[in-house]
Parts: sequence; C-alpha cells; structure tokens
Amino acid sequence: MDKLRKNIKIIFVIFCGLFISLIVYMSYFTAYERDRLIQSSYNRRLWEQEDKVLRGTIYDAKGRPLADTVVEGNIKKRVYPGGEAFGPLIGYSDRRFGRAGLEDALNSELLGVAEKDPMVLLRQKILGVSDRGSGVYLTIDSQLQGTAYRLFRGRRGALVAMDPSTGALLAVVSSPGYDAENLSNKWEGLLDNPDKPLINRATQGLYPPGSAFKIITLAAALTSHPEIEKKTYYTPGYVKINGRIIRDYEHLRPGDYDLRAAFRYSCNTVFIQIGQEVGPDNLFSMAEAFGFNAKLDTDIPIATSTMPKPPALGGEVELAEDSIGQGKILATPLQMARVASVIASGGKLATPYIVQKVVSPLGFEKSYNVQMPREVLDKTVADKVKALMVDVVKNGTGRPAGINGITVAGKTGSAENPHGKTHAWFVGFAPAENPKIAVAAVVENAGSGGANAGPIVKQVILQYITGLKK
Amino acid sequence: MELKMEAIYNKTLSATALIGFIAFTLLSMKTSPFSPEPLYGAITFSAIMLMGYFLTNYLLSGQDPALFILSSFITQLGLIMLYRINPAAFSKQINWYAIGVLTFILSSAVVRYCIKIRINPYFFLAVTVMLLAMPLLFGVEKGGSRSWIQLANYSFQPSEPAKVTFVLYLAGKLKHGKVENLLRLSAEILVVVGLLTLAKDLGGAMLFYLAAVALVFAATSRIDITAAGLAAAGIAAVSGYYFFAHVRIRVEAWLNPWQDVPGRGYQIVQSLFAIAQGGFFGTGLGMGHPEYIPAVTTDFIFSGFSEEFGFLGAAALTVVYFLLVYRGIKISLSAKESFSALAALGITTMFGLQIFTIIGGVIKLIPLTGVTLPFMSYGGSSMIMSFISLGILNGIRQSERGEEADG
Repeated sequence: MDKLRKNIKIIFVIFCGLFISLIVYMSYFTAYERDRLIQSSYNRRLWEQEDKVLRGTIYDAKGRPLADTVVEGNIKKRVYPGGEAFGPLIGYSDRRFGRAGLEDALNSELLGVAEKDPMVLLRQKILGVSDRGSGVYLTIDSQLQGTAYRLFRGRRGALVAMDPSTGALLAVVSSPGYDAENLSNKWEGLLDNPDKPLINRATQGLYPPGSAFKIITLAAALTSHPEIEKKTYYTPGYVKINGRIIRDYEHLRPGDYDLRAAFRYSCNTVFIQIGQEVGPDNLFSMAEAFGFNAKLDTDIPIATSTMPKPPALGGEVELAEDSIGQGKILATPLQMARVASVIASGGKLATPYIVQKVVSPLGFEKSYNVQMPREVLDKTVADKVKALMVDVVKNGTGRPAGINGITVAGKTGSAENPHGKTHAWFVGFAPAENPKIAVAAVVENAGSGGANAGPIVKQVILQYITGLKK
Repeated sequence: MELKMEAIYNKTLSATALIGFIAFTLLSMKTSPFSPEPLYGAITFSAIMLMGYFLTNYLLSGQDPALFILSSFITQLGLIMLYRINPAAFSKQINWYAIGVLTFILSSAVVRYCIKIRINPYFFLAVTVMLLAMPLLFGVEKGGSRSWIQLANYSFQPSEPAKVTFVLYLAGKLKHGKVENLLRLSAEILVVVGLLTLAKDLGGAMLFYLAAVALVFAATSRIDITAAGLAAAGIAAVSGYYFFAHVRIRVEAWLNPWQDVPGRGYQIVQSLFAIAQGGFFGTGLGMGHPEYIPAVTTDFIFSGFSEEFGFLGAAALTVVYFLLVYRGIKISLSAKESFSALAALGITTMFGLQIFTIIGGVIKLIPLTGVTLPFMSYGGSSMIMSFISLGILNGIRQSERGEEADG
C-alpha cells in the first residue's frame, strides 16, 4: 500500500506538470503569439472591426492624403487620390480581394488595433473617438512620386528615391501602376495583365544590377588594393574565362584604361581583371557590407537582394560575372538606392523607412524607430568612388543625367537578362558636394542605362533639388 | 474544524450562485429589448445546485462536498456560455445537469455500499467490450468518429460509461500489486483500445491506453512495463501518422495550421483567433464571436470561454479543474484498500487526462483530438458520466469515512 501511495503521488506530480504546462503555454500564447493572430488577414474579427471603424488616412510628407475613407450616407468608401502612381506602393484594402501594399503593412495602425495601452483605449472610448483608426504620415513626396511615375510613360520599371543621410524614402515608384479605386471593375484585367501592375517592382522586383554593381567592385578594390588606383589595364574588347567570352559594350575602343576611364566608360573586361585581383571573398564581403543578403527589418516588406557565396574551389566564371553585376546577383531598385546612399553619405549604410509618424485619434504622435545609419565603408574610399561617379555623369556613360548647376554623381548599368534587351539602370545622387537625394531607376528591357534610365533620374533629382531651394 | 470547513463550502456555494446571477443579468441586459429570460436560467440553476447540495449533505454522510461544489461551478460557467451561444442548448443542458446531480447522489450511495462486493474483473471487461462494440455494430457517425448510438431522439456515446467499467476492470485485475500474466493483460487492453481505434475515436483510444499504463505503474511499480507501454504508445503514434490519413491530417494541422487555413487548419485556427482576441482580460461576456468557432458548444467551448473571459478566466478555470483532480488524488490516497485506491486513481486519471487533452488541443499545445470538456461541453452523456465518475470518487471516500467512524 505504501508503494501504491508513493506511485499515486508520482502520478499527481505528473498531473501538476501537465496543468502547469497548460497555463504556461496560455500565458506564452497571450503574451507573444497574440498580436500576429489578431492581425492575420484570415481573422474574421478584423473585418468586423473594419466595419465598425473609420479606417485611418495615409498622408504624404506634406500632409496630402494618399488613401482616405469617405462616408457617403452609410457606405464607407476607400479613395486613393494619388491614382496610378501610388497603386503598387499604397496597395488596397478590400473585403473581397484582401489587402496589399502599405494598406496591408500598416493595417493595424490604420484600424487602431495596434494601440495596446488599456488606459489610452479607455480614454478614446470616453472621448468618442474609439471608432477611428490612426492617421499615418509617410516620408513620400507625392509630387516627386507623380513626376517619376509619368517619366516611365507606362514602360515596365521602378524607381526609388531616398534621403541618403537618413534612409527616408522620398519616392517608391513601380510602373505600370494601377488605380486602387473600384477594384472590382478591373481586378481580372490587373491579374491577367502580362506587365503585372499589382507587383511593387521597387521593393519586390529582383533584377541583375549589371554595371551599376561596379560601384561595389570599385569600393572593394579601393579598400583591399589601394594601389589599383594608379594601374592601367589593357583590353582587347573581350575576355575569355574558362571558355566563356564576355565582351565590352559595342562602342568601347580596345586599348589601355586606368581605373577612372574604365569606370567612366563601364569597361567590363577591366573590371573583370580588377575583380580577379580583389578576389571573391573581398567582393562578397563588400557586397554584404552594402546590404546584400541581409533581411531588412523595416516598416514595409522588402525582398532581400542576394549575392551567392563564392564557391571554395574554381568559380572563375562566377567571379568574372559578379565583378560586373551579372551572373546570379539580384538586387531590388531599393537596394541599389541604398548602394548610392552609402557613397553619398561618405560610407554610411542607411536603413530605409517610409513611416514618418502615426497620429492617433487623440492627437498623440508616435514616431517609428529609425535605425541610425552605420558606417560600412571608409570615408576616403567613399569619396574616391564619389569623385569617379561624378566623372561618369560629366564625361562618361552617365551624361544623359547631367544637370546644369547641380553636380550629379552616378553609374549606369545595362543588365543582360533572359527576357530580351538589357535592363536599363541608373544609380546616382546629387548634389555631390552635399547629397540630398539618392536615386536608383531601372527600366526593363529598354536598352542602355544612360540613355533610358538616366533622363528619368535627372528629372527626379532636378525637381527635388529645386523644390528644396524654394 | 468541520464547522470552519462547512462555512468555507457555504461561502463558495454562495459565490457560485452570485457569479451566476451577475452573468445572467449581463446576458439579460444584452438582449434587446430587455428580457428577464436569462435570469430564470440563473434561478433554475441555483435552485438545482442548492437542492443538490443539501441533498448530498443530508444523504451522503462522510462525503467530499468540494466535488459537488467545484463541478457545479464549472457547469455553471458552461451554462453561461451555452446560453450566450444558443439558448435552446442551454435549456437541454440544464436538464442534463439536474439528471447529473441525481446520478451523482445515486452513484455515491451505490458505490459506498457495493464497493466491498468483489466482482470478477472480467465482468467489467465484458461490459466494456460490449459497450465499445455497440457503436461499431449499430452506431452513427458524428464528427468523423463512429462512436455514437442513436436511441429515439437521444444519441449517446457508449465510450463514456466504458471509461468507468474499464477502470474498474483494471483496478480489480491489479489490486494484488502484480501482473500475473502480462501477455494476457496487454491483449485485453489492446482489444479495448483497438475497438476505439476502429470507431476512429483516437482521442478516446489514447485516454484509455494512458489510463491503463498509469494504473499498471501505480499498482506494480514496474518501471520496465511502464516504459515499454509508453514506448509502444509512441510507436503506435508514429505508425499511425504514416498509415492513417486522418492521423496525419490532425498532426499536420497541429504543426502548421497556416498551410491550409480554409481546410485542415480551419478548426484550430478559428480557436486560436478566439483565444488571441480574448487576451489577458477577455472581450467580456457577450462581446466576443463564439459563432466563428466550429463545434463551440462541445469540443471548443474552452476557446469560446477564453475569448470572453480572457487568459485570467481560462487560467482560473484550468485551476478549478486541477482542484478536482487534486481531490480525486486525495481520495485515492485515503483509501485503505488497493482496489478502492486504484479505482479512484483510474477515474481521476481518465478525468484529468481528458481535460488536458482537450484544453491542450484547442490551445495547440498538443494535436487536437475530439474529446469533450467535462461539465462544460454541451451533451448529456458527457455530463452524466462526469457526474457518475465524481459520484464513484465520492462513494469511495464515504466508505473510507464510514469505516473510520465504525472503527
């Protein structure tokens, strides 16, 4: 009997463990899993909330509404005054089609369910504003965004403009766009459109960066082998590596090139030679320093730009392709704008953000945590790259982006891809002396970077800088 | 000492009645136009509870009053949720409660005087097998498992009474503290578990099996058999995963319900949404959306309760269930004969495991298996059998107390 009693006690201890684990798991669930579940778009309670709540407004940096709820009689209607230029960025919130873009990413703020402090909730209830969501102010300049969008003239492509010193996004354009109002009339058309307007190319589109990546190759070279600056390289117009022939651009004359000239005319063969001197590991770690292969923790979802780790053996072809931004490297336009920002800010990598502040119905302002830019590149190296980028726009492939009276720094890219003509890239910033804006633009299958993407960036920079001076 | 305890019991009882009145008043206020109907519910319940309490105290000397009070408290919470979800289910359930109280008294009395009668354990085994075979022969399928019998307008689950007979069989078989023929015992247990598996009642099969392992362990102190038994259960679970599609579906819905929210993961995800909505303090009675949760009156009543009463309410409810298990263990410890001790332990184990299985299932701690939450879930067989189980515990305690008084 004593043994039996002892065993019964053991079983009781097991029961204690089981019941404690229930309560521990419930506490864990309530403390950590809860928020994600409440905001799941499968959760019908959220739509219930949506019916009761006046969804908050999304404003641009100057307080112009980009997504607003108007009440006509008893019917609430979401309007998008920004039109087509903002479709892929702002997205939509619709019971039938779900949510996309910032309407999805900022949903809990817009519905006012992000507020967790019970005292604030109580005060809102008493003041009768509990049926209103918060307003969200973006860092976007809607006029700049509109101009940039029009410059694409319906061609497939994307542009990202940001403040290089803070990471504040000034324009996030994806073309073709769409007008998110009255979505049900055009949903099928948008889904079937081969140009895929529903995708935000600026943050989700992954492109080979082409010669625009030479900024990183150059930075790696100047960091690990500073003597490269004084060397000259010979190019016959093509280079053969393990049987693969990589050519220079058609109108590049064979001959001797120093670093400056090779960058100015975007000489592939020279940069492949430089890449071989720099070595795969230096190139790879420099790309990671510029933000490749790192998942961005920001307020909007951004696809991760990738560069594969170099293989331990061989990999000569890969190294050659990587040095000129071909091969398996993939970058979003947003990532390339960050690359320009690193040079513009003298070596600091900024984390992009788009939400300036959130204003609750009671008028409380909540700013989002902005991550401080961190130094990833030596300032002297950054300044040398900057000087060469200024030269590209003044004398080289980047001339179409040149502006009278403003020093623009830039780099072109014409990225080969399996879908036809090269993708036209332009990555740059201005004014070079004191950069206020960094821009990256890509036009899909448009041909050369300078001629096609350059003018778009030029207009965007011009409008932004003149706007600042006013 | 006795007086002090009695005062505590009386206070608890009054608190239960008070909670009921507050809750049903809230439900009255929520109906528009104002309807006093829910209050009648509170009055009916309190009347049954008080009558039951006096009857048990009067008729059953040496009983454990906590069993009745705790179970009534839980039943009332279940009734509040049922009224809030579906008043028609409430009216039926309150009848089941009344019947349950009577069976509680009856089973207490029967067990008190009959526990000394030595019945051959094989009689209980035969009854268990018969009960479990019944639905396979003329059962109806409900919610994916073929474990229900339809009798006129009522359907009931023979596996509920089988829990009790199975425990009595094991207690009788193991009361000498050793296993005489391990092969034979295992075969008998496997027949019972196999019948449940055939009815696709996997939750039930697991309960019966684990209760058997617990009793074998308690009676024999044989670590080797216990470990082998648990290992066999593990092997059975893994092979079940590979050979039975419905096991696989359950496990996958547990591991990643988000893969297929509208399909496999639907039930558990709706349950989790509800619990998440409740948060720490709950939405408040009548302010949640239990109608979004499938089977919210039966298997998922705990999720509906969590949404409106919050983590605090749900944790408190879990503690009350734990107190019932604690009382059961205490009764088992107080028994002087191994048969009584084992019977009490078996019933408590069944009861406790069932609570753990269903609460753990709906909060996604363990894979979901369809068992009811005793005293809360809507349904007569669960309610009555839960009361009979408590009645048996009560009877065992009475017989021990009676002996003390005699001696």
